[in-house]
Parts: sequence; C-alpha cells; structure tokens
Amino acid sequence: MLSNFSDRRKLLAVVLITVVTAYIGWKIGQSPNQALQFAFNGLSVGAIYALLAMGFTIVYSTVWFFDLYYGAAAALGAYGVFYLRGQEVLGGQHAVNSPYVNGVFALVIAGVVAWALHAAFYRRLRSRFHPTALRVGGGMLSGAAGVYTGLVLAYPDHIHIALSPLVGVLVALAAIWALQRGCRRIWRDAEHRALLITSAGAAATVGAYCGFLIANAPGAKLYLSWALSCLLAGAVGLALYRGLYVYMRQRARSPLVMLVASLGILLAITAFIVIIFQSTPHPLPEPFGNEPWAIGEATIKGFNVFTIGMAIAGFVGLLLLLKKTRFGRMVRAIGDDEEVSKVVGINTTVIIAIVFFIGAAFAALAGLLSGHDTAIQPRLGLLLLLKGWIASVVGGIGNLYGAIVGGFVLGMIEQFGIWDLAGEWKDVISFVVLILFLSFWPLGLLPKR
Amino acid sequence: MELPIIGDIIRLSRDPKDSLRLSRSNLEFWVNLLIISWAVAFAIWQGVGFAITVGTVFAIWAILSVSLNLVVGFTGLLSVAHIGFFGIGAYAMAILTSDAAYEQLRTEAIPTLGWPFFAALPVSVGVAGLVAVVVGIAFNRFRDDIYVLVSFGFAVIAFNVFLNWRSLTRGAFGIHEIERPAIGGWVFDGELEFLALVLVSLAVVILIAWFLMTSSFGRVLTAIREDEQATEVFGYQVTHYKLAIWVISAMMAGLAGGLFGSWTTFVDPNSFVLMESILLVSIVILGGLATIWGSLLGAMAFVLLEEGMRFLPFLPSEFVGQGRQVVLGILLVVLMLFRPQGLVGRYKL
Repeated sequence: MLSNFSDRRKLLAVVLITVVTAYIGWKIGQSPNQALQFAFNGLSVGAIYALLAMGFTIVYSTVWFFDLYYGAAAALGAYGVFYLRGQEVLGGQHAVNSPYVNGVFALVIAGVVAWALHAAFYRRLRSRFHPTALRVGGGMLSGAAGVYTGLVLAYPDHIHIALSPLVGVLVALAAIWALQRGCRRIWRDAEHRALLITSAGAAATVGAYCGFLIANAPGAKLYLSWALSCLLAGAVGLALYRGLYVYMRQRARSPLVMLVASLGILLAITAFIVIIFQSTPHPLPEPFGNEPWAIGEATIKGFNVFTIGMAIAGFVGLLLLLKKTRFGRMVRAIGDDEEVSKVVGINTTVIIAIVFFIGAAFAALAGLLSGHDTAIQPRLGLLLLLKGWIASVVGGIGNLYGAIVGGFVLGMIEQFGIWDLAGEWKDVISFVVLILFLSFWPLGLLPKR
Repeated sequence: MELPIIGDIIRLSRDPKDSLRLSRSNLEFWVNLLIISWAVAFAIWQGVGFAITVGTVFAIWAILSVSLNLVVGFTGLLSVAHIGFFGIGAYAMAILTSDAAYEQLRTEAIPTLGWPFFAALPVSVGVAGLVAVVVGIAFNRFRDDIYVLVSFGFAVIAFNVFLNWRSLTRGAFGIHEIERPAIGGWVFDGELEFLALVLVSLAVVILIAWFLMTSSFGRVLTAIREDEQATEVFGYQVTHYKLAIWVISAMMAGLAGGLFGSWTTFVDPNSFVLMESILLVSIVILGGLATIWGSLLGAMAFVLLEEGMRFLPFLPSEFVGQGRQVVLGILLVVLMLFRPQGLVGRYKL
C-alpha cells in the first residue's frame, strides 16, 4: 500500500510544482515589475518567518516538543517595544507603565540571574567559601539585577542613560575576551599577568567610552528597547523551562502534555497582554529607513532590507554557534539523545535552558520586526507562532537550513498567492500550503538526515 | 467475540461504561461538589432569569465539549478545529433562516431563504458533516503534534472564510435577524422554551455519545487511542473509524452552531476565532478526558467562571473574558503538572 501511495504522491508533487512554477512564470511574463514588487514583499515577510522558524527549530530539535510559549514570546517582544517606547507614538495616548509589570519582570530577571550564578559559580566556589556566604552574595547580586531591571523599565524615557553602564560592562567584557584570545595567539609565552592588566585597562577604556556614547545618544533608545525586550522575552522563556518544563518533562507521558501546558501559558500571557494594553492595534515608533528605495519599478523599504539582513545574520550566527562551538556540540548531542548526553556529563538542564533563551529571543526579534512593519495586536503572537511552525514544516522540521529556506519560500508563496486573490486570504494560503506539504512532503524541502 | 489481545489493549484504559459515574476518588468528589454547589448557589443568588441565560450558554458549550471529547478524549486526536464546525453550523442556520424582510437594511446583499428553524437545523448539521468528511480525509494521516497544527489550520481557514467570503456571510457585519424556532404558530420566543430545546439537544447528544462509547465501535476507538498500530494489525480499518468519529463529532458541533445562531439571532466571525477553539480544548481537558460527565463539568465550570468573574470588585467588566482566559491557562498548566487526565478524567494525555 505504501509504495502505491508514494508513486501517487510523487506524481501529485510533480503536478503541483509544475502548476506553481507555471503560474509564477505566467505572472512574471504578464508584468515583470509587479512580480519584482511581490518578490520584494515576499522576501521581507519571509525574513520574519525565517527568523521565527529558526528559533522554533533550534528549540524543537533539542527537546522534541512544540513549545507554544514561542508565540507569546513574539508578542512579548513586540509589546515590550511598545511598553518602552509607547510615549513616542500617538502622543503617548496609549502608553502604559505599570509598577506590577515592572515588578514581575524584575522578579523574573532576579530569578534568572540567581539561577545563572548558581549554575556557573556555585560548584567552583563551594570549596573556598562557606555556602551561606555564597547564597547571600548570590542573592544580593540577583536582587540588585532585579532592582536594576525594575528601574530601567520604570523610566523608559531615560533608557539610554539607565542602560549605558550595562552596555559599557558588556563591551568591556567582550573586549577582554577578544584581547585575550588575540594576544595568546600572537605572544604565546608572554607574561600572563602583565597582559591581563594591559588588556583589562584597554577594555575598560573602550567600555567606558561606549557607555558614554550610548548615554549621549537619545537616538539609540529604540534599539536599546529592542535589545531589552528580546532579553526579557528570552529570560521568561528560560524561567519557564527551568521553573516548569523541567518538572513536567520528568512526568510527561507524551509530547502532547507539554504542548497543552504551553498552550495554557500562551492563553494566560495573551490575556495579560489584552488586559494591560487593550485589544486594539497599536503602532510602533518609526524605525530608520522608512522611505522606500526604488529598484526598477519596484520599491523596497530600507527597514525591510535590514530585516532580511537580520534573518541572514541570525542564520549564520546560529549555524556557527551550533557547528563550531562546544556549546553547539552539546546542543546537538542533546537533540540526538538526551539520556546519553546526561550520562557523558553534559548538564542538560543548563544547556536546554540556554537554548530556550535563544529561541524565545529569536521569536521576540521576529515579533518586534513584524510589529514595526505593521501594527501590533494581541493576536499577533498566535499568528506568528503558527507561521513559524508552518515555515519550519515547509523547510523540514528540525533542520536549520530548512528553517531559513522554508521561511523565505513561505513568504514568497504567500505574497504571490495574494496577487490575484485579495490580501486578506494570505493566512488561508499559508495553511493550504501547510496541508499540501504535510500530505505530499511530510519531511519538508530539506529533510533532516 | 473479540480477540483476547484487543481486549487487553482496551483494559489498559478504563471501561467506558463508568464514564457517567460521578466520582471515583476523593478529589473528584470534592470537585463535583464544588462545581454543582457553585452552580446552585449562583442560580439562587442571581435569580431564575439570569440562570436561564447562563443555562443556555452552558448547554451550548456542553454540546461542543461532549462532542469534542469524543475526538480528543476517546480517540486521542487533539483537535483545535472544532470551532470551525461550530461556525459552519451557525452560518448555515443564519443564511437559511435569516429574515428576508430585513433585506432593505442590508449593506451587502446575500441570499436569504427564510426557511423555518426545524428545516434548517438538519441542514446545518449536514453541512458541518459534509465539510468534516472532506477535512477528515485530508487529516487522517496525521497524528500527535502535527495533527494539532493542521487542526489549527482548519480553524484559521474557517475563520477567514467567514470573515472574507462577503457575498455569502456579509463578512465582519455579520448576519442579523436569524429566526427563532417555531412549531406551528408557537414560537420559542421565551428564554425558557429555548433552554428546554437546547437541553433536549444536549440530552440527545449525550445519549448518542453514550451509546457510541459503550458500543463495540467505541471500544475500537479506545483501542486506537491506546495503540493505533496494534489495532490496525488486528484488521480494523483505523482510518475509517477515525473518520467516522470525526464526522459525528463535527455534526454535533454543527448542531450546537445552529442552536447558537438561532439563540443569539446574530452571528459574526468574532464568535469563531481561534482563541475560542483553544478555550474549548481547555474545557475538555479541564473537565476530564474520555468522560462525558467531565465534559459537562468542564463546560459548567467554564461558564460559571465567566459569570462569577463579572462580580469580582477589582476586575473591570470588559476584562472578564481575559480574566477567565488567565485562570484557564494557569489551570491547564497546573493540571498538566499534577493531573494530566483532567479533573475527573479517565485517560492521561
């Protein structure tokens, strides 16, 4: 029965591909300029889908269950930017700043920092210090991080000043790391301590200068808000994994349990977003590059080019992370077999939590980029989640190459599909594409070997 | 005669015969007591008039959740598509019975047939069933999380059709003046008569579900849920069984939709958004998988939750729906952690 089926499927697949190609070819022949315009639109929409699908894929191919918090992360990213930058749109009419929201995120960050400190340092320092001292110290540090987050969120107008020390410290740390790596390569036998002091001094200078630049650049507020909302959405994802999914996965009999639980989280977070921001659509402040560039007869906005660039950069970054680093090797090992990777000494909980952070941050980035493209509304989370899911199915579930290809293909099909139909049918088109793909190519365009 | 190993598979799950028994353990007893006493107290507190309205809403949700439980609980296919069939039933009812005299107020002309209610109700059930046959054939090959995804897809497609096929559904304007049921000259105008009609329909649905699940057909469905391949090995055409229960369940949803359209006398796409479908799945899981009583209990808890929240002092009335959603979401998480079969369920997800 199966062999019959695959023959028929192959035939149908060939027919479908021919029809789609012929249709697109006919359309291009009809009016090349319009086709170019639709292709540009498809690319810019596809970039967002690709970002979503990549974040989705890295999480799914590690833990093998669908985490629907992902949609809420996309909505959190978009609404985070609105929360921080709401005063700049519509004269601050719908701007909200609630101490409860700030408090919740402060708690989340404090918890995540406490967990990170524990995971990174507790074992190493246990033998040298008293455990109580370590706990008190870690508690104070994470409390400070929480208070800092709360303050940053409470004064979104001065976000560039509030975040400048953090940016400075991060730049300094990155500079130290880069200098250390670079210097070790060049002078292998050099005096270690002198090198450290010199590089630390240089790094501190660079960091301080960067912090100073940021503090004096009100134009950076929007982009700092992007970073902050990605960070917060990622932190919530990490906290959910560490605080909830870990325990649930120990008991769950099937992946559907996790799916339903994350459905509950999606429901709750969406409802909270409606309660805080109302269900009406809101605009986000205008980013750079909003004037269209003309290429031929078609136009594309600079911001959309930036979105495409972000998708490609995100893809390259994730690929390097997964293929070149030790962390990536551990992630792939967990995806292959979690039990065995535990046995060989990988701290699976920490690695998977970081993967959840990365996935949710990608979702938030995609959410806020699409929010800049159109208006934001609470439904956006669920829709983007489904689009990312479809894109990863189209490309091939669990494959990073498939995710980026699937995202762009889905965007293109959607845009070319609404050429003759009206624009409101594009959700229908993407779901029809999904059902066709699942019926004829269940493994997607680039199946995972 | 039934094969011994199939019997073992079935015995892994509980006997479907006790799906109407009230309580099995202490927790279940207290949950039952809490929800029923809450309902009674609510009826006494708010008076009979309001209780009738709430009762009608409850009965419609109960038809939906009992029918969805046939698919999710008994057969083990987690479907989010149910709201689509509900909407198809409601729109069929609306288009068939919408009052032609209302024509002059229409901004977009759609066909009005002016059928009587009792002629339109079987049609709305049948249309939902027909769509379900097509959709079911397409969906039959999927399972687990992919099934969830494609059923999301059907819900989204159905919503978009309701919203965008303006020549048939008037899009976002919705359809007004849907007829109330009438037998001869006796119109079911009063809320009480309508409640009786809805309760009778609910009883019919429960009876059908009960007969299905206690029959050999239901046992095969249970076996499919426990082990699809093993059931296939024993020569049961699994796809036919899954298709059959899917169509029956969709027809019940179509019935609920027809009743809903007639009760509100107005339908618009906003009643059939994806979120409602997710809420419906949460009701089924909350109440309990693979029990009819659990679905009734879940629907009751859901309706009471909304109505009870209207009286919370600190919650503004426009956020009642959202508050209910938050509570349901958190309940789902807690249930998945500690009680994956739902409050009184028989089958662990």
